[in-house]
Amino acid sequence: MNIEKVILSTSKTDSTGCSACAYFKADNLQHALARLKGVSKVKVDKITGNVIIEYGKQKINLSKITERIEKLGYQVEILSRDEIQ
Amino acid sequence: MREHVKGVILVALLGLFALAGVLISGVQVAYVHEIGIVLSLIAVALGYRIYLHGIRSLWYGNVTAQLFATIAIFISVVAGLVLPSASATGTADAVGYLTASAIVAFIILAGMTLEDYIIHRTRGALEKLINMSPTAARIRRDGAEVEVPVDDIKLGEIVLVKPGDKIPVDGTVISGYSTVNQATITGESIPVEKTVGDRTFAGTLNEHGALEIKVEKIVDDTTLAHIIRLVEEAQEKKAPIQNVADRFTTYFLPIMAVLASSVFAFSYFALGFEVALARTVTVLLVACPCALSIAVPVAVAGTIGNASMNSIIIKGGTHIEKLKDVKVVAFDKTGTLTVGEPKVVEIKTVGNYSEADTIKYAAIAEKFSEHPLSKAIIAKAAEMSMKIPDPTDFKTIPGRGVDANYGNQHILIGRKMMETEISEEVNQLMSMVESEGKTAIPVALDKSVIGVIVVADTVRENSLEAIQRLKRLGIKTVMITGDNMRTAKYIAEQIGIDEYHAELLPEQKVAVIIELKKGNVVAMVGDGVNDAPALANSDVGFAMGAAGSDVAVETADVALLGDDLTKVEYAISLSRKAFNRMKGNIVYAFIWNIVALSLAAFGILNPVLAVVLAEAGCISVVINSALLLRSKPKPLAKIMG
Repeated sequence: MNIEKVILSTSKTDSTGCSACAYFKADNLQHALARLKGVSKVKVDKITGNVIIEYGKQKINLSKITERIEKLGYQVEILSRDEIQ
Repeated sequence: MREHVKGVILVALLGLFALAGVLISGVQVAYVHEIGIVLSLIAVALGYRIYLHGIRSLWYGNVTAQLFATIAIFISVVAGLVLPSASATGTADAVGYLTASAIVAFIILAGMTLEDYIIHRTRGALEKLINMSPTAARIRRDGAEVEVPVDDIKLGEIVLVKPGDKIPVDGTVISGYSTVNQATITGESIPVEKTVGDRTFAGTLNEHGALEIKVEKIVDDTTLAHIIRLVEEAQEKKAPIQNVADRFTTYFLPIMAVLASSVFAFSYFALGFEVALARTVTVLLVACPCALSIAVPVAVAGTIGNASMNSIIIKGGTHIEKLKDVKVVAFDKTGTLTVGEPKVVEIKTVGNYSEADTIKYAAIAEKFSEHPLSKAIIAKAAEMSMKIPDPTDFKTIPGRGVDANYGNQHILIGRKMMETEISEEVNQLMSMVESEGKTAIPVALDKSVIGVIVVADTVRENSLEAIQRLKRLGIKTVMITGDNMRTAKYIAEQIGIDEYHAELLPEQKVAVIIELKKGNVVAMVGDGVNDAPALANSDVGFAMGAAGSDVAVETADVALLGDDLTKVEYAISLSRKAFNRMKGNIVYAFIWNIVALSLAAFGILNPVLAVVLAEAGCISVVINSALLLRSKPKPLAKIMG
């Protein structure tokens, strides 16, 4: 199985950083990404907005994932990308 | 959910240690102070989420209540451990400072956990939608029935849906007959009949027949999946009023820094070190920038979630703010205020013939015609449960009517087929019908007219209520249509619309919208495809019956998934309520902060009270915003009264 693990940084211009806001943002992103077909693991860091995501390469590609994040109103940057299996 | 359970356990543990730390001082045991110190320190340590959050957010350049709390707790812990040696009052003070820190940590952590939970609950509407999507489906593969996860279904495969099951895909029925409850998508409470050739939506409930459905859209592509994605995106789009809140929060850090240091300085010179320390800590703890910044996003999410449960997709916070100001609502006529399909509304008979005779002979002649008017007649015959025999022969003359034979009887349909055979009586009857904007179809048997079938596009059941509701809100209603003046006038009078414009070309509809927009916020309601230019030119474009059309859902500002026009009023009332709540929350949070900070600065609060105040302020704002999710449409009687 080709599983890839990618770390992304996401940001929105209006981040004021209160804990409830951070939770609000992480909760949405977390659920939206987890629902993508082929994604097996997602962890959104509440404070940094970094996303650690694992997915099967045959089922989904990275551009689909970044596109989804952008559609939700965030800017995305790829921090690292490794094949783990 | 697991995360919330973990959160609650952590809060409970912290609470237990803090409580033990407080109670131990009343017990006569050896090393009572030492045990008290240790218990309190453990409690404080269990609040690690607060400090991690505070310190990390500082590192990333944000200022949060957690940061202030971290500093405050750190100061008190250090004070608790260091002060007693310098103080004459002994170790009792140490425990006092430390238990206070533990209680503060407990309240803050409990507050954080509660807020997280409430915010998570605003996802409720989305979770409901997501839970609608079935995860498995029965399909026919290589002649056998197999159950597969929905992810594995391929386009063009045949899905078998049993009575009582949820339909797993968007597709077309290829065999079977059933009724399907589509409330999840269109909001219609009455189940819809489905038979060969009808389209189905994923997530709707098949009631009592078995259906075989050919898959046309798979998992990520279904209308339901589309709706879920749109709602997710919409909830993230901020409302302009957020900028006001953001402006306040930007100044929060510098103001707090100045305030905290001046409070310390003044109290130090006037009242000594310990008092200064306590007041500074209190000031840091009472600040609640969170209430300001979270109020609007949670309200936006709650409002959009609420709307989606009512089959309305509002595409972001901006539209909520526009909707609240709507003064004029323009409606397209055909297919929006009316059903959009001609129907037999009346049968006028002549001589000794009955209504059934008229319909029967008309239906025989029209049996094989595809014309919309013929379909209306055939549908009426079916409704009257007639069995229609085939005509012996028939000839359709486009634009004129039908000439048919049935055995030795001769049937003629249409005014232009029988110019010479129409009596004065029938003529009058027909002009009366036509003056109401309806179509009159005379039916003649062996050259004499036996009846006149009246066909008209019918007004939707709830159009009248929809218009009344809008009028109650003080909104002007306008109809714009390409149809003729007579029909427009008739429909307008029937539903009590304020103003109508008829015989308009699409670009003229745009011109009317632009004219209406002078000095008013104008919403336009249309079917989303034909009315695209007018929708695009209005301030808020409502696409109706959008469930079947991705284009309509995509381009509209607000998509009504079903055909219920009363939802226009609901969307507007909900937005008014939501906006008032956002504005109210910002003002409330602002005043709360000023009052609490002043009380703290003048030493009226102690640190524990300060945290209670700060958390109460924040949580009340979050709850108040989240409650928008629960708001319900008012019955008409109530808004009329």
